[in-house]
Amino acid sequence: MFAFLVDARIALLNLVEHRRRTIFLGSAVAVVTMLLVLLTALSTGVRQTLIHSATTLSTGHLNIGGFYKVTAGQAGPIVTDYEKVLGVAQKALPEMDFAVERGRGWAKVVADRGSFQSAINGIDIGAEPAFKKALDIESGNIDDLAKPNTILVFEAQAKKLELKVGDAVTISSQTTRGVANTIDCRVAAIARDIGLLSQWNTFIPNESLRTLYQLRPDVTGAIQIMLKPQYVEHLAPLAARLRSSLEQAGYRVMEPDARPFWMKFQTVSREDWTGQKYDVTTWEDELQFLMWTLTALNGISIVLVVILIAIMVTGIMNTLWIAIRERTREIGALRAIGMQRGAVARLFLMEASALGLLGGCVGVVLGAGVAALVNAAHIPVPKAAQLFLMADTVHLAVEPGAVMFAIVLITLVSGAAALYPSLRAARLRPVDAMSHFG
Amino acid sequence: MKKNRLVAALFLLVTTAVLGPLRSNIAVAAATKQEMVDLLKGVDDRQKNQGDWKSGVYIEQKEKGKVAVVYDALVFRRSADQKFMILFQKPKASEGQGYLRVDKNLWFYDPAVGKWERRTERERIGGTNSRRSDFDESRLAEEYDPEDAGTEKLGAYDAQVMNLKGKAGLDLAFPVIKLWVDRDTKNVLKRQEFALSGRLLRTSYYPKWKKIFSESKKADIWYPQEIRFYDEVEKENSTLILIQTVDLHSLEPNLFTKAWLESKSR
Repeated sequence: MFAFLVDARIALLNLVEHRRRTIFLGSAVAVVTMLLVLLTALSTGVRQTLIHSATTLSTGHLNIGGFYKVTAGQAGPIVTDYEKVLGVAQKALPEMDFAVERGRGWAKVVADRGSFQSAINGIDIGAEPAFKKALDIESGNIDDLAKPNTILVFEAQAKKLELKVGDAVTISSQTTRGVANTIDCRVAAIARDIGLLSQWNTFIPNESLRTLYQLRPDVTGAIQIMLKPQYVEHLAPLAARLRSSLEQAGYRVMEPDARPFWMKFQTVSREDWTGQKYDVTTWEDELQFLMWTLTALNGISIVLVVILIAIMVTGIMNTLWIAIRERTREIGALRAIGMQRGAVARLFLMEASALGLLGGCVGVVLGAGVAALVNAAHIPVPKAAQLFLMADTVHLAVEPGAVMFAIVLITLVSGAAALYPSLRAARLRPVDAMSHFG
Repeated sequence: MKKNRLVAALFLLVTTAVLGPLRSNIAVAAATKQEMVDLLKGVDDRQKNQGDWKSGVYIEQKEKGKVAVVYDALVFRRSADQKFMILFQKPKASEGQGYLRVDKNLWFYDPAVGKWERRTERERIGGTNSRRSDFDESRLAEEYDPEDAGTEKLGAYDAQVMNLKGKAGLDLAFPVIKLWVDRDTKNVLKRQEFALSGRLLRTSYYPKWKKIFSESKKADIWYPQEIRFYDEVEKENSTLILIQTVDLHSLEPNLFTKAWLESKSR
């Protein structure tokens, strides 16, 4: 232990002694660490934004959805008897924070200037304060969505149909029995776009959705379950437990299928059953079509990190080669007064690791600072990127775990980069080293 | 006594004068209801082939701000078991696609994916504003209860107007229909379809009717050569159907099968 401390002291003194080199190499390590922190923060930020936007707009952390088939070929995305089903879920999931019911439908929204196909979401706005917070209302009053036959549309949709608050639109669809029906709605609010989901989603009161699809009051589209924060990352076992509880309660449950409900229509329509089947999904299932953005972003981050680390390793190795060359006589002297080969190697390893640790700490502080500045600056995301990132400004999330990971990774990589030069230095014979000139 | 007789005679006279026409009106109204049912049956019967049917149809869908979609298709029907099939021939992208009704299910086949998809019977054919029922045998009397809505002059034609309400328990695309029928020929001249909410969704015109002799029926049958649908929700959208050829000869027994439809795109 004492020897270790002595070696550590010598290593630190060496770093101080060769101040210029230490500053140069330490800065490079700090920059790499900072970039690593920022890339991780970007990836985490996008993931957080995606979860937040999506779980507010169109999915819970867990969902109980399903299909009711009047005939084998006629499937409606509805959950019958939802209050009893919610009761089962509440018993099965103590991890549940709260749950909301959302109507689901697909219809044509028609105005004087045109039309678009839309996923119609039924919402009880009074019961969803988080929804109100998640949306940035451009015009109108979101609370008016509590009134029957009102609709919330997004900026791009309003622009396409030249809609203003108070304008009338007709929503045209078929009931679950395939009968044509319409409702006339007044635009209550226009919200700013929040990515891909706002391209096709619109919101109307649950009661209006029930009128459109001729649904009974005990029928809804899906039960969206929000979990307490500590359970959000552990969805698979909770989904499995919920599925099994529903089955035990006598409900028919669909096989796990990691796709959003609207991608399951064809599969469900091909099957011969009729009546109700429930479906348990996670937010990742419901947003499976968006998850590739996270995967792609993570992939790009990993590639960039590998390149940066490779550059850093090359720099450290080169610098140590030079240092060893410069300090060959010093190594010879140390070996001559009795320092073992292992201690010499350890000395250089400690020097590099200490450099990595210091550079890493500085890099993390820099990264966190830059991330805070970027968040404060509310840098706008280009429109095309908004589609997938589901945010209109760049959000970077620096998490303590990611910070620790960055410091440990950089320290270990710095040490690893020094391994070969250190072993080479340790292999020098004292006589040769002391007679070295250069 | 004499006075009493006079009062009784007066009462009888008044009763006859007041209730007589009313009674005759009730009789007329009842007859009108039956007449409407008979008229609706007549509309169906005129078009019923009671055998096999093959027609070549042209479908054109115009939508605001979009390029017109045009299809050439063959429609096959068999009255005996209500078989129905559509095979698209043009455009190239839709060649080999088709709809087949098996029992109460309508199936759609796309050779590009090689899969059958079960669709609702009230599916918009090829994404146009036409439905399966627009190409199928007329079954208005089976599906709707008619009510007299008076008469109207529709161009040169005297039309009987009827309000049709979907019969309970039947899943119909349009729960309410208003129908204009030529009083002379019993051909449909105009039709308006309404949503459950009462909103007018589609107005159809049947400007040309043609007759053809049916061996299986041993009589002439009538079919609309041209049908024009106007979307009443999206006012600028319209669909045109032209029935260009009709062949009433017997079709192959195994025609109404998935295998047959699949074979057409191999």
